[in-house]
Order: sequence, then C-alpha cells, then structure tokens
Amino acid sequence: MKHLKKYIIALVALSAVIISSCRKEIPQLNRPEDYVAANFNEVFDAYWTGMNNNYVFWDIDTTDWDRVYKTYKPLFAKLNLYDEKDVRKSYTYFKEMTAGLVDSHYDLSFRDQDLMNDSGSISPAFERKVKSPDYHPSIRNVSLYHFYDTIPRKYLDPTWKRGFTNLPNDQVIGVAGTINQNILYFYFSGFNLTDLYNDSTNATNRFRLAEKYFFDLLQSTPNIKGIILDVRGNGGGSLADLDFLLGRMIDKPLHFGYTRSKQGNGRLDYSPWAPAYVKPQPGAKAVAAPIVVLADAWSVSMAEITTMAVKTLPNGHFVGERTWGGNGPLTGNKFYQGGQFTTGFFNLVYTSSLMFKNLDGKIYEGVGYPPEKEVKFNAAALKSGRDMQLEAAIGLIR
Amino acid sequence: MKRKCLFLSGLLFGLLTIQTQAQGQFEVGITGGYNKNYVHTSAGARTFAKYDSRSGFVVGIPVRYTFNNWLAVQAEPSYIQKNYRYERSNFFDGIYQNNTNSYVQLPLMAHFSFGGDKLKGFFNAGGYGAYWVNGRIKGTMANIFDAGDPIPDDKPIDNYFQLNKPYNYNEKYAFDSRRDRRMEFGLLAGAGVEYLLSQRFRFFVEGRYYYSLTDQQKDYMVNQVPRYNDTYVIQAGCLFNLRKLFHHAAPAETAK
Repeated sequence: MKHLKKYIIALVALSAVIISSCRKEIPQLNRPEDYVAANFNEVFDAYWTGMNNNYVFWDIDTTDWDRVYKTYKPLFAKLNLYDEKDVRKSYTYFKEMTAGLVDSHYDLSFRDQDLMNDSGSISPAFERKVKSPDYHPSIRNVSLYHFYDTIPRKYLDPTWKRGFTNLPNDQVIGVAGTINQNILYFYFSGFNLTDLYNDSTNATNRFRLAEKYFFDLLQSTPNIKGIILDVRGNGGGSLADLDFLLGRMIDKPLHFGYTRSKQGNGRLDYSPWAPAYVKPQPGAKAVAAPIVVLADAWSVSMAEITTMAVKTLPNGHFVGERTWGGNGPLTGNKFYQGGQFTTGFFNLVYTSSLMFKNLDGKIYEGVGYPPEKEVKFNAAALKSGRDMQLEAAIGLIR
Repeated sequence: MKRKCLFLSGLLFGLLTIQTQAQGQFEVGITGGYNKNYVHTSAGARTFAKYDSRSGFVVGIPVRYTFNNWLAVQAEPSYIQKNYRYERSNFFDGIYQNNTNSYVQLPLMAHFSFGGDKLKGFFNAGGYGAYWVNGRIKGTMANIFDAGDPIPDDKPIDNYFQLNKPYNYNEKYAFDSRRDRRMEFGLLAGAGVEYLLSQRFRFFVEGRYYYSLTDQQKDYMVNQVPRYNDTYVIQAGCLFNLRKLFHHAAPAETAK
C-alpha cells in the first residue's frame, strides 16, 4: 500500500506537468504600422494582420480571410519588393484579396505614388459598382451644373441662394430655396455643414450663404408643406452634421439605429450594440410636414445615415435609388479599437471603424438602403433639363 | 499530446478504483466559497486596453467515497462563476466591460488526507468538465452617435467621454456559435484541512485552483489569441456520512 501511495502521488504530479502543457501559446500581435516594409513577407503580414484584427465586418463578410492567408502568403513570399514587375503583381494580388469585402468605404492607397500612379487606389465597392448592370455615373460628375444652375432656375422660387467653398481636397456646393413658397429645398454636396456654418468670418465660404438661408427658411417659413433634402452624389462627411441638420427638425431624440465596434482581437469580438440617436438642437421645433430625402446610388456614408434617420420619422420619406452601401462610421483606430490603419506599404487602409445597423434590424453595408419610391437615374431627362427624381419628391409632398 | 493526457487520466482513475475496500464510506455534503478568475489571454497591440481578474462565487455538492484513511475519490457538481474584466485606461478611462460567466461544473478528484483522527490535512488533485451556461455583460462604452457637449477651443480634453458620451449597458451575453466554445475541461488542485466533528459530520476549508485546458473560443481564425480561465477558489463546507446519518448505529458500536 505504501508503494502504491508513492506511485499515485508521482503520477498525479507527472500528469499535472504534462497536461498543463496542453494550452496553446498566445501569439504576439503587433501593430500593422510597426512592421518594417523591407520585403513582401513583411508587407503581407502587416496588411493581413491589420485586417485580421481591425476590420469590423468579419461578422457579415463572406471573404474567407484564412483562405486568403493560405493562398497569398506563399505567393507574396516569392515576390521581390525591389522589382517593379513584382510590385505590380502585388497590386493584382491585393485587388483579388479584397474584391469581396463588404465594407463599401474600403480603399487601399499606396505609399509609393510614383509606382502606382497609373493604377490608383483599390476600392472594391467601386469596382463592383462599375460592373453592376444598373451602373450610371454620379449626377455630380455628369453635370454639377444641374444642381448649381438648372434646379434653382427651373424648380425653385426666384429667392434661391447658392454658393460653394473650396476645401483642401474637395469643393462643397450648396443650393437652398423654396418651391411654391412652402416647400423647402436644400442641396449640399458634402457633410461639412457644422464647420462651414461656424466659419462665419471667411468671405470665401460662400456655401454658408445657402446653408444659412435654408436654416433661416426653416425657422421663418409659416406652414411648411414639406422639406426636400437632396443628398444625391453626396459622399458623406462629419457625423456631427446629423444633429446639426436633422436636430433642427425634431424636438425629442430620434432613435434611428445602432452601432458596435471591435472589442478584442478576435474577428468576432464586438462591443454590444449602442443606440444611435439624433439629438434635437436648442430651440428646435418638430417639423410635422413631410421630410423627403433625395438620394441615389452615389449617396454614401453620412448621406445614407441621414437618409435612414429621416426614414425613421413618421413624416420621413426617401425618393431616388438604392444608396451606395457604405454606412459604417469612421474615426481613428485608437478610439474604437478597429477600423482604418496604415502600414509601411500602404498610405492608408481606409475602412469603417464601427458597424451600423438600421432601426429595422438590418445591416445595409454593401447592399445600400432601398428607397420608398424608386426613381431611376434618367440621363436623357437630365439632358433636357428635367429632374425626374426631384419631381417625384415634389409630387410626394403635394 | 491529447492522447497522452487521456492515457494518464485513465491510468490515474484506474489506480484509484482498484483501491475499493470493503470498509469504504460514502459522504455527501455542501460547499460554497469565493473565487477569483483570471483570464489567460492578451489584449495584443490594442491601445490602453487590458484584461483583468474578477471575483465570483461557487456552490457545490461534494460527494466523497473514502477507501481508507488516506485515500478517497470525490466528485463535486457545482455552479461556478468565472468572471473577468476588459478595461481601457488613460484617455479612455471609464470604458470597461465586466463579463460574468456562469458554468455548471463537475470536478472529479483524488483526495489524499493525512494527520490525526479528528483534524486532518488534505490534498485534492484531478480534473473537471464544465459547461458555460450563460453570461452577462455590464459595462460602459463611448457612443459615437451621442456627441459630447461643445468644448471651448482653449480647454484641454481630459477624457474621451467629453467627445462621445458614455453608453452604459447591462445585458445578457449573446453566444456566437461560430466563436464560443461552451465546454471547458481542465485540471484542479487543492489543499485544505478538515475536522471530524462527529462520526456524522465533517467540516472542511479548502483552497483550490482550476486550470483550464480549453480555449473559450473555437479555432475559427488564423493567429487567434486564446482565452483560458484560471480560477482560484477559497471554499468551506461540510460532509455528512449518509449511512451514519440515516441509519442509527448499532448498540455495540455506540458502546465503543
């Protein structure tokens, strides 16, 4: 019995030592910007790891990122960073790797602009858009003049105001006025409303003229019959503009959706869904008349978020086309522990910081938000000076 | 490695069971205590973020079969919490999440005792299986769609909640079958003292350590950071000798 006791104790100790080594090792995770882009192994690892830990849509994305690793890691290992042909081959690989990513903000821009200047950045959503059967160019690109001149002269009362402001990387255009004195119309090409409104001392900030005119009309017009917010071709911008714009048309917080961010390094590690609200601005009064958003396939990000927020109002409507489908908010990576990052090879991996879910429980990332009344882009009508989408919005209010 | 683990476990169990003696006694009882759970993982390169331990509690029903004066086997079906915390610091101070995870657990152990007739010391060693029944998450995060109040240009910003207001939550943890592994297996080791109050009752206090061998997550991604529970328990309880409790002892025995 004494011998058996010794054996059992020895066996227990041995078992504990052996079995305790059954745990997996914790991998060392490094920030993608800290990899030294001295060869394509490092370039691949930095990018793949950055995506693995920071991309916020793994929950709904159909891209098999493990398969990407297994397929492309050996291919990148064969490339020479100092061979121009290989660098171009890497461009093709990156394009293939990202082709199916659901994030429709997604854009890969390269540090080596000289080498890549004829290829440009990689935007999977844009590639898909161009190949889609319904593809049409943005009205903004077809004729910015349509917003700036045709609409005011043809559809607005003569008191309209318009203006533009040149920003370092963009030009923001605004047109505001009334239709039959009691329908308010506001077109703005980007969401810089708060900043440009507060920039009141800059004489070149002509956008503010149109913006202020719209807000003044909102305050002073008796018996408003309807409001048209035209965000066609609007590429988005500042989240603060949501309260700044719609917060003037409501008198209590408007719950319109939810956001969640990464919370941990796992692809499926997320925070809970936090409610997204539009908050009323001081002194705001609720607009009871119909508020119609005009949006199209080139309405992106804040333009889509604004559309979805308006649509949750009982008097909110959406006329036009299914939106672009890139509605996850963006901010710095450190704030919500995910989203955009840089590497030694990429100037920026531009990707959403949070996932957005509409109040109806659906995520419209990659698919776009559908209109209540669909009116397709009509190039021929536009050419003849008619705006079928705007006319449908006016008709809905009347 | 897994085969080795299974072989050793089987061998140990076999050695214990062949020790069955005619004079063995069967005891059942109740135990409860406080625990501290550490999640063995890494926040990686996440900025100003870390995992931390949290306390919880355990209640169980120890069932012991004693072979002789130094060896017994014990099972202890239990409810145990294995909690942890994820929090951020510095500018992000105030952002946190407390995970409260409830498990139903079955520890199986060999019980080695030593010492006198009444007061004895003991060691426990064995393994356990557990099922992650449910979880709750309580915390505070910044809400990107709830902007903070305007900050004057000349005022420094001390905390992220000045930019985006906090959102407080306290909700049931939603399991994701693609990620969450709800079965957990591991090792345990414990030490304590017990006191035989009478032939019917035995009281004990014990410190025990549960060492999980199972990642809380399934292997669903390359370069995955595993999460293992390390749980330290301080518990006290008592055991009842069922035979002596419900069957009055024979007169000859009581005369002794």
